[in-house]
Amino acid sequence: MPSDTAGSWTPVALSADLPAATVMPAWTSAGSIALWRSQSGRASASSDRCPHRGMRLSHGFVRGEALSCIYHGWSYSPAGGCVRIPAHPDLVPPETIRVAVQTVEELDGVIWVAAGQPAAQPPRLGDLIPLRSLTAEAGIEEIEAVAGAKANADGLISVADYPWVRLLPTPQGDRTLVHVLIEQSRGIEDRVAASRIAEALRRRVEARQKEAA
Amino acid sequence: MMKAGAMIDEWYPVGLFSRLTETGNKTALMGEPIEVARAQDGSARVTSGNGRKLPVRVRYGHVWSSLGNPVKELFAIPEADQPGRRFVDVGVVRVRCSPLRAVENFLDIAHFPFVHTDILGAEPHTEVENYKVEIREDEDEVWATQVKFYQPQAAKSATGGITTEYMYRVPAPTCSVLYKTCPPRPGEWDVITLFVQPLAEDLCDVWPWMALFDDETPMTDLIHFQQMIFLQDRSILENQIPALLPLDPGMEIPTRADLTSVAYRRWLKRHNYTYGAQLVAQ
Repeated sequence: MPSDTAGSWTPVALSADLPAATVMPAWTSAGSIALWRSQSGRASASSDRCPHRGMRLSHGFVRGEALSCIYHGWSYSPAGGCVRIPAHPDLVPPETIRVAVQTVEELDGVIWVAAGQPAAQPPRLGDLIPLRSLTAEAGIEEIEAVAGAKANADGLISVADYPWVRLLPTPQGDRTLVHVLIEQSRGIEDRVAASRIAEALRRRVEARQKEAA
Repeated sequence: MMKAGAMIDEWYPVGLFSRLTETGNKTALMGEPIEVARAQDGSARVTSGNGRKLPVRVRYGHVWSSLGNPVKELFAIPEADQPGRRFVDVGVVRVRCSPLRAVENFLDIAHFPFVHTDILGAEPHTEVENYKVEIREDEDEVWATQVKFYQPQAAKSATGGITTEYMYRVPAPTCSVLYKTCPPRPGEWDVITLFVQPLAEDLCDVWPWMALFDDETPMTDLIHFQQMIFLQDRSILENQIPALLPLDPGMEIPTRADLTSVAYRRWLKRHNYTYGAQLVAQ
């Protein structure tokens, strides 16, 4: 995970997996967040808890440019301010009602969320494009061991024997979320192959984790 | 057990009387294993894990018990003795949440359009008008009255949208009684209750029970309707943070629509009813 003294960036999801007007749960080192994309396409991240009754905002819904809680429909802007309390339609919500928000950067098809205030931008992927994400029931060390390479400064792991496939792992508690990247020039057959390579690698990683446990 | 506080001496539902067996049913009350059985003479018997005989009442379709020594009799529901009502044992819904959160959700109407969409509420009818809330000192109960809400299908017997009037009572820390406009019989109130059995601080069995004026709807449909509503609530209740109900201000933000919940929390705190509650904002 690219980090400096002021903060770090987590690659929480692929752009393609967050369509317009949807919300999903995601995780950074700072905890659970609600990751959402407005109708117009802007990605935002907030604390995964509505301050009204503590409901997870990642269970909510997106309308227009606001994220709403599924419990009572309280709505929040990308900046985190409460913009609507349906039980009191004529009330302008006080500015004190807000959710904490995180900085989001969307680059090369990956959504990055900041914990803290990292000084640098998230790394660029160069000639790589994201293919898919998968979750492994194992830590990053197991993935590095099975892939046969350590993560580089940008957090990327090369897969032995398949140098055109790269893994971008990020820890989620006991699990690891892995984004699978592939060289842009590769055709459809290689993309299918890369997906299978990643799945096979996950099976070996999880078997290894189980043995270790 | 220390955490049970004043709630130790309260009555709790532990099962349906109609479903008792002589073999007995193993369940739990506030973290302690208990067994609920039908004795040979047909009465209900509740024993704790170490074989201690616990106090028993059979009322409102359910068996009630307590780990402590209840000083108060089980609360009265006069409508349970009113002729012409149908009594519905809805059964049980297990919810991984604080028993107090389950009651608070039952007292809330503002969630109807979002959680019980097109049944108990629907946008754009989201406004909660002012209503009255009080802690009735003589009865020592929380009451909310003059609660009104537009409902697309207020009950199984309702055929269209109506503005329903509600009254809520909290006669015990994990029980609430709801009085609701009765579509087939104006002037009377349907009674819908929420009896919550605290299994642990973050786990409960919810036993809804009803006393309705409705001779038409098949029993199965009445049960399915209530179970559907409570399953919708469960998806909320299992995803609130923190799991325990925060009794101190600061952790959550109430509005005017939440005055029943505010009074409920204040009443819980006043009585040291804190099993399933969180006292200090974290």
